[in-house]
Amino acid sequence: MTTVAATHDVGHGEHAPSGFWRKYIFSTDHKTIGIQFLFLSLFFLLLGGILAMQMRWQLGFPGKPMPGGGILPESMAPGGVILPEYYIQLVTMHGTFMVFFAIMPLLVGVFANFLIPLKLGAHDMAFPRINMASFWFAFAAGMVMLASLFVPEGAARAGWTMYAPLSARPDLSGAELGQKLWSVSIVLLGLSSILGSLNYITTIINNRAPGMTWFRMPLSVWSLFITAILGLLALPVLSGAAIMLLFDQTIGTHFFDPPAGGQPLLWQHLFWFFGHPEVYILILPAMGMVSDIIANGSRKPIFGYHSMVFAIIAIAFLGWIVWGHHMFMSGMNPTLGSSFMISTMVIAVPSAIKTFNWMGTMWRGNLRFHVPMMHAVAFVAMFVIGGLSGIFMAATPVDMHIHDTYFIVAHLHYVLFGGSLFALFGAITYWYPKMFGRMMSERWGKIHFWLTFVFYNLVFFPMHNLGMAGHMRRIYDPTQYDFLKPLQPLNTFISVCAFLLFASQAIFALNFIISLFRGQKAPQNPWLDNGLEWTLPNPAPHGNWAQIPSVYRGPYEFSSPEVEEDYLPQTRKLPTDREPAVLSSGAPS
Amino acid sequence: MTHATASLMRPPFPAERGVDAHNLKLGMWVFLASEVMFFTALIGSYVILRFGAPGEWAKPGVVLNIPVTAFNTFLLICSSVSMVKAFAAISDGDQKMLKVWLLVTIIGGAMFVGIQAYEYTHLIHRGFLPSGVREGSELAELVANGTLPAATMGLYGSTFYAMTGFHGFHVTCGVVAMAYLYLFRVRRGKYSQQDYRGIEAVGLYWHFVDLVWIILFTIVYLI
Amino acid sequence: METAHKHPRYLLIWLYLALLTAAELTLAFELPISRNLKLVILMVLAVWKALLVAMFFMHLKFERWNLRILFIIPIPLAVIFIFAAITEKIW
Repeated sequence: MTTVAATHDVGHGEHAPSGFWRKYIFSTDHKTIGIQFLFLSLFFLLLGGILAMQMRWQLGFPGKPMPGGGILPESMAPGGVILPEYYIQLVTMHGTFMVFFAIMPLLVGVFANFLIPLKLGAHDMAFPRINMASFWFAFAAGMVMLASLFVPEGAARAGWTMYAPLSARPDLSGAELGQKLWSVSIVLLGLSSILGSLNYITTIINNRAPGMTWFRMPLSVWSLFITAILGLLALPVLSGAAIMLLFDQTIGTHFFDPPAGGQPLLWQHLFWFFGHPEVYILILPAMGMVSDIIANGSRKPIFGYHSMVFAIIAIAFLGWIVWGHHMFMSGMNPTLGSSFMISTMVIAVPSAIKTFNWMGTMWRGNLRFHVPMMHAVAFVAMFVIGGLSGIFMAATPVDMHIHDTYFIVAHLHYVLFGGSLFALFGAITYWYPKMFGRMMSERWGKIHFWLTFVFYNLVFFPMHNLGMAGHMRRIYDPTQYDFLKPLQPLNTFISVCAFLLFASQAIFALNFIISLFRGQKAPQNPWLDNGLEWTLPNPAPHGNWAQIPSVYRGPYEFSSPEVEEDYLPQTRKLPTDREPAVLSSGAPS
Repeated sequence: MTHATASLMRPPFPAERGVDAHNLKLGMWVFLASEVMFFTALIGSYVILRFGAPGEWAKPGVVLNIPVTAFNTFLLICSSVSMVKAFAAISDGDQKMLKVWLLVTIIGGAMFVGIQAYEYTHLIHRGFLPSGVREGSELAELVANGTLPAATMGLYGSTFYAMTGFHGFHVTCGVVAMAYLYLFRVRRGKYSQQDYRGIEAVGLYWHFVDLVWIILFTIVYLI
Repeated sequence: METAHKHPRYLLIWLYLALLTAAELTLAFELPISRNLKLVILMVLAVWKALLVAMFFMHLKFERWNLRILFIIPIPLAVIFIFAAITEKIW
């Protein structure tokens, strides 16, 4: 039996890249790519927020000139007064940027790239150059989408869900180029996502360090693995749909054109067949990272690790057969609707299992409320609220009344903002030392957390009430309906809180930026965590390890009786530990 | 294959066992899974639109040229065989036959694309467009005299060109990739019995493209 | 580890594929069988050919089960999607 003799591991990049361009711009190092995604996504998060602020101005102060609105063109906001045509662009592009260019790349592009090789004990991703391509496709997609804001007729305006035939026909929507650019951007983004997913899946399956068996992987990696599978299989459907939409828009095909036999419902089926797995893509990585952070902050192993893994898999599996619950009011076949109602109710169960497991982890733990822990605990609470509103919507008869109302807006923001974004604030704070070698300010982190938490709930909780009262989504001027006039003070209240919420994010932004230069230098393992990434210096070097480490245990050995410290890293060898089995079976070493 | 081959196609650093496939092979399979979903969107939409079509669909063979396409199908299957023969050759260490079979595959693939391009130009000339039937064309007369159903020609054109067009695009990418491998790797002897990962990966892609065509040919041309 | 020491009989598979294709063409144009039956048989033939390519040319028959799973997963998804959307019109 022959083995490959090597003095040290031959990783992909034996030589660290030199020169500014290869090191920072066209880098194949997964950590650099993760940070590139971070800056790109934070920019789009800010942009999405700015669009939302304009929406809230119109809703809170309908028909009044917006401060600073003078810079907008006359065709969009004459004298700073937002026109309906512009309002619907704000709605569409806020959703588009937030879902596709902020939350998704923040969760996946940043943390899958950054964490997976570090947490698994790999030098880099399986395909570093494809990884680089994935970032640049996302960048190109973002630039195309950004450009669509500035074309003469304006951006796409059929809602982020881009229903056809409104989206396919400029005579109906009033925008031609903007709509086409949306389709092009989404095709590019789909490609970026697919290339990324393929990297994450291959790396996780094939490049785990010796001893890193499947059930010793941290839940953050498990969730990123399952998310990557979801992305791999769902994004191509969106790309296909976007291509068909683009063809309807450009070369005169009739996929979604009723007079020629096309089916608008086909677009909805395609979009939501992608769209539902997409929302699990937007939550599972957050859940995974929250698991890591809560175990750390509780100084206890995760309660029910195996059930957590199976719950993630169950959520992903069931997520493929619930898409019709977005279409209960579409006029689709009612029998089909019932089957979707049942599957949607069922999918609440694994999520609930996870919630109880988080609580079980915290129960009687040695709780440390560092900033990431605060965000993680808030995640659990906000996600429960979002999940509960989801149960209401799952019941078709109830959904008949609340579909396309602010109840849905409340739900989606509770899971995406209260859920994903809070988890992201926590995760960014948690892994910031690993990325940049410094700590973010704990004090300003706590201030940011509390302000965000309070204002966020003041903005989005009342939306449940608005929705139940019949306030519809995407509406430009609610006061045109008599039955909504009494609700207008609530709209104004929400808008004011939204402005304060947005302003509070400046604290996070400043904390982030200033800490890059003036933050306290981070110790190697500031959170006293067990993951492999904390055995490397901050920031981690190119190629991560000179020699791939061996793994001896799972990731959540906190407060273990075997050692004095309240944490026990995965790679620390105790006298009672044996070397991983795979090393003695002839694999190269 | 010997153990030596197997261990050299493992990563050169210690790792858990995984799926006993080197990264390039696993990566290609993963990519192909995404391609299945992409073609599901296109082909699925065709099935859905056809099932729900507001009238009869055109009969097979009236618009599309079956004999030429049947030959094209045969050609692609043959190129799939030559590809696997190329793979078998290098796995036995035979550089010469690798070159021969790979070249045959490239030529077969290029011919497929060429014939499909010919098919497209001919169809467009006769009046078959992605948007349906062009006014005043030869096919428009068939619509007028009832040989072709007016209500569904728009869908027929849309679905035909989308599916076969993207398939053709994938074939073209495959031909380009194989040509690149041939010119810059195979001719320089970069593959050996110990390491032929690239050939294996591109072979998988090529077979997949053939597999999709097998499905497409049946449901687009024959039904 | 790669398992097969001997290669599968590729030319034999090629022959099967050629025969199946010929069968499809005959069925589609020559045989006077009802349309629905034709549809089913043609699909079966197409899937059979596709399986031959996947199993032998793509070596799936000789790979580990966990690699095969990877390719198998999208198929039920495709079926579910198409079936659900078809029920819009045929139910």
